[in-house]
Amino acid sequence: MNSITEDVPKKTESKSVTTFKETFNQHIEDIDTTPGWWRRMKREAFEAFLETPMPKRKDESWRFASLSNLSFAEFDYGKPPSIANAQELVEKSNVLEHQSGSFIFADNQTIDAEKASFELQQKGVIWTSLREATSKHGELLKDYFMKQEVHLGSEKFALLHSAFVENGVLLYVPKGVEIEYPFLSYNWITRNNAAAFPHTLIIAEEFSKVSLVEAHFSTTEEAPALSCGVTHLFAGVGAKIDYTLLQDYNEETLGFQINSNIAGKDSTVKSLSVNVGCRNYRSETHGQIKGDGAQVEMLSLAVADEDQEIDQRTLQTHSAANANSNLLFKNALKDKAKTIFSGLIKVDDGAQHTDAYQTNRNLLLSNTAEANSLPGLEIEANDVKCSHGATTSQIEEDEIFYMLARGIPKEKAQELIVYGFFEEILERIEDEKLTEVARSIIQTKFSSK
Amino acid sequence: MIAFLDKMTATLDIKNLNVSIGDKPILKDFSLTVPKGEVHAIMGPNGTGKSTLAKALAGHPDYEITSGDALMDGQSILEMEPDERSREGLFMAFQYPMEIPGVTIANFIRAALNARQPEGEELNAPAYYKSLYEKMDMLKIDRKFTSRSVNDGFSGGEKKRCEILQMAMLDPKYAILDETDSGLDIDALKVVADGVNSLRGDNMGALVITHYQRLLEYIVPDHVHVLFDGRIVKSGDKNLALELEEKGYDWVKQLAETAA
Amino acid sequence: MTTAPTQIEIDRDKGDFQYPEQHKFDAGTGLSEKTIDYICDVKGEDDWVRSYRKRALKVFESKPMPTHWATKDLENIDFDKIRYYLADGQRASRSWEDVPDDVKETFERLGIPENERKFLAGVEAQFDSEAAYSNIKDAVAKDGVIFVGSTEGLLKHPEIFRKWFGKVIPTGDNKFSALNSAVFSGGSFIYVPPGVKVSHPLQAYFRINAENFGQFERTLIIADEGSEVTYMEGCTAPKFDTATLHSAVVELVAMPGAKIEYITVQNWSSNVYNLVTKRALAHENSVVKWIDCNIGSRLTMKYPGVVLKGRKARGEVLSIALANDGQHQDTGAKMIHAADETTSNVISKSISVGDGRSTYRGQVHMPKNLKGCKNNTECDALLINTNSRTDTYPAITVRGDSNSVQHEASVSKVSAEQIFYMQQRGLSEGEAMSLSVNGFVNDLTRQFPMEYSVELKRLIELEMEGSVG
Repeated sequence: MNSITEDVPKKTESKSVTTFKETFNQHIEDIDTTPGWWRRMKREAFEAFLETPMPKRKDESWRFASLSNLSFAEFDYGKPPSIANAQELVEKSNVLEHQSGSFIFADNQTIDAEKASFELQQKGVIWTSLREATSKHGELLKDYFMKQEVHLGSEKFALLHSAFVENGVLLYVPKGVEIEYPFLSYNWITRNNAAAFPHTLIIAEEFSKVSLVEAHFSTTEEAPALSCGVTHLFAGVGAKIDYTLLQDYNEETLGFQINSNIAGKDSTVKSLSVNVGCRNYRSETHGQIKGDGAQVEMLSLAVADEDQEIDQRTLQTHSAANANSNLLFKNALKDKAKTIFSGLIKVDDGAQHTDAYQTNRNLLLSNTAEANSLPGLEIEANDVKCSHGATTSQIEEDEIFYMLARGIPKEKAQELIVYGFFEEILERIEDEKLTEVARSIIQTKFSSK
Repeated sequence: MIAFLDKMTATLDIKNLNVSIGDKPILKDFSLTVPKGEVHAIMGPNGTGKSTLAKALAGHPDYEITSGDALMDGQSILEMEPDERSREGLFMAFQYPMEIPGVTIANFIRAALNARQPEGEELNAPAYYKSLYEKMDMLKIDRKFTSRSVNDGFSGGEKKRCEILQMAMLDPKYAILDETDSGLDIDALKVVADGVNSLRGDNMGALVITHYQRLLEYIVPDHVHVLFDGRIVKSGDKNLALELEEKGYDWVKQLAETAA
Repeated sequence: MTTAPTQIEIDRDKGDFQYPEQHKFDAGTGLSEKTIDYICDVKGEDDWVRSYRKRALKVFESKPMPTHWATKDLENIDFDKIRYYLADGQRASRSWEDVPDDVKETFERLGIPENERKFLAGVEAQFDSEAAYSNIKDAVAKDGVIFVGSTEGLLKHPEIFRKWFGKVIPTGDNKFSALNSAVFSGGSFIYVPPGVKVSHPLQAYFRINAENFGQFERTLIIADEGSEVTYMEGCTAPKFDTATLHSAVVELVAMPGAKIEYITVQNWSSNVYNLVTKRALAHENSVVKWIDCNIGSRLTMKYPGVVLKGRKARGEVLSIALANDGQHQDTGAKMIHAADETTSNVISKSISVGDGRSTYRGQVHMPKNLKGCKNNTECDALLINTNSRTDTYPAITVRGDSNSVQHEASVSKVSAEQIFYMQQRGLSEGEAMSLSVNGFVNDLTRQFPMEYSVELKRLIELEMEGSVG
């Protein structure tokens, strides 16, 4: 009734489209201070969004996904009232041991910001909100903002993001600048039916080094919401980017996260996601090896319980030689949870001496959980080493028995084994405090139910 | 007349060989003559071109011969494909033997021997196995190895024994042993050396490339050459190896500097 | 002025020949209800078969090409130019003397040994659509084994075959199974009574021998409780300029405790579309093993499957695919676990040479609260030249905390260092390549019956000729 799908009968469709158009026009009015180019870009994106069909069951990129849960029209895209408990949220947004700067958003509004140090600013580092960037760094955004094609199926949702995004962070690191501590982008959803559009754009110039942590949380357990985020990482020659995303929205949230890691010559890009929240969560990660000798790492861990569905699509495209990419996605499933991992390594014919790996490990912890795995390879170069592996298994009875024999209760034993399963990913998080936060979020998932 | 000529030219003759990898010259006007029946050792520090010499002679495509010649019994081998050189009687024991999954040793050596048969003819299988087992016994290689894939999952010692087994079976005119002692413990070293010694004789010339003098205690060379920066800086008898061991490679560097 | 150079006939590829065609029955090109009436009339089929075929035709027409996941090359098939039925009208004959000379000559050129031709445990040799020669060995018949062509099976033993016909692979399973269901002719129907262990493999040699003539064999094998049977099919095809279509349906039913092994070594000429649906239904404690070697063809799409319906049933697919220049081998396996403690194993090896392309598609399905199910899948791809390509697309669904699935895939190449090493031992580059490739598939071919692994080795050597340099 309120979803914009091509399957909806004509009359209803035009009505809901009309409503949605009004919503969008209101959104454009609300942010009337934005530069003209951004408004034009938003309008174009919105038009394209309306024309783009919803994913269909037969689309390969949506195989196994439950499409009936993806309707997004009931959310409130309007300007939120001011955040009442802003200070409280700011205090809670404390996940890092050390940080080089931070932005804290609640329902797309900036509620707090910690600037980059004077020293970094002197060196030319730009750490700013997307809002501010559109007026001050338009030239930079013209080259990098929403310039990545979506290949993994969420074209429509990327357009929705493009149409409604109004905040987020821009992090620009000039040539040769190395930054020790991560920047933080903290995104809260507070309202019922809120629609959030987190955005992260990192541009790391030649031989620079930078890290960023993005956190996605809800303030309430029950309020349904939509989060539709985009992160683009650009690593120049020899640059190094370390990106971590921690997502623990409430289990009424519909989440999309569309990420692209673009690795230039000899650069290193590591992205790591910890996904615990959302009712339906769809993440797309595209590792693009564009320069010879680049190294791309894509790591993820997810714990899904109850009726959660976590749908992960990845693509590793090698279009340059002597590069390597390594992907490891681990999922643990409880209750009636469902996960999908669909990955593809694509090696172009010029990308000789490529080493590309892709591993998906699923741990089934209940009799009704369902793990789907679609690990794919498309290899056109012949001098390559590529492999993928996918395993889906359960906790070995023998392992449990061994722990029982040491006096550890069964629940605890299970928990220990699951934590062990995740440790391989957790230990790759650089910031110790963040590692602890991630660990405790996972623990909550086991202890509260 | 012909026999006389044969005797005259029964050598592996390397003349003013210049070899590069990419744009980098490695061997510089390298010359050496190894007559049949003799064992020559080439010693030298790492990175002076020892392995380059072996691979260039065997015809590895990465090594470009920019000038000079290499003659086997009077015939230049430089225009030959690597397999032609092998069939003409040149054998190289690799420093790092390749693993060939799925191809058993027995089948591999048989294929190599069949490649030496006249067109349309094949080896007599029972005779082949008899000779294979004899040589395996000599090299203390378990007969079960025949059904294992070439070098696949072998220890360092097993790989090197497998190289010598191939050498014994292929009966080359000239053998180049490239750092055959690397990766061998003392027991394995003796076994390999015994194997090589048993193949010594008037019908084979050998070039033993080694970093350490140790191997030469067991394979006693007729001549020892010291290689530095792509050329031979000193030659002598087996005592040169001992001298080198004693004085170390810094001495070689000095020799090279005086020579220049 | 120009004189054609004298051609020396080299018997390089024993499939590379054809005979003049004189067919008594010819349904003409194109497909309609009339074609089906023609086929039914000629074969004297029952009404239920006629209506089954006509329903299938409608399904075929209504189904789109599966190009949303499969190659667009399928769109190049011109269904109007294909002849759907050709036959000589002979009844299946039992004595060697009755076999026409040119068919005997076919056997000769296929290289089937003299003694095998006469003593094979019931050669079912298909020459075009109909069985031209059928000899059920006395010993097999004595045990109550039925080994007949599909026409005869449906006509004479409906009580046995009708029950399972089209049940493992329903008409609407896919567009090509629907096509086969509409126009099938030829193929084997085998029934093995309870407890009978057929000691010799039952073999079928068949070939395509008419231009633009698609073959639509239908094979149904039922192994009753505790019985065992091995079936082998091997095919070679003459080379033609225009594409031909081969679209078979093979259904296997393994009753409790039965064992079926189905072996295919195929070497289609490079203009053939080979779109085959093969599936088995495995009851309790039964074992079904598909051994599948795909060499040649323009496009092969084939994913042998096992529906593991009974407790402790086991399914296996062992496959080798070699895609040479201009060829696309799109093969794989389906393992549908539908009972507790079922196990499955898939080993797939593919070799892409020149601009050949090989694709693995796999499906492993463990739904609904099953216990103790296991699957192991390994797919390895070997690439030979810079322009060859390989794809792997497995889909794995597992539910429940007592099942396990393991999937591993790798892509590698024959390295230059490996070739150099072998050359240093005196092997030519080509010999070295062929030895490496055979090494790559060796651990799999060891599991094949002797004569097939020898034939396969010969075929691979043939295919590798001229692939280097």
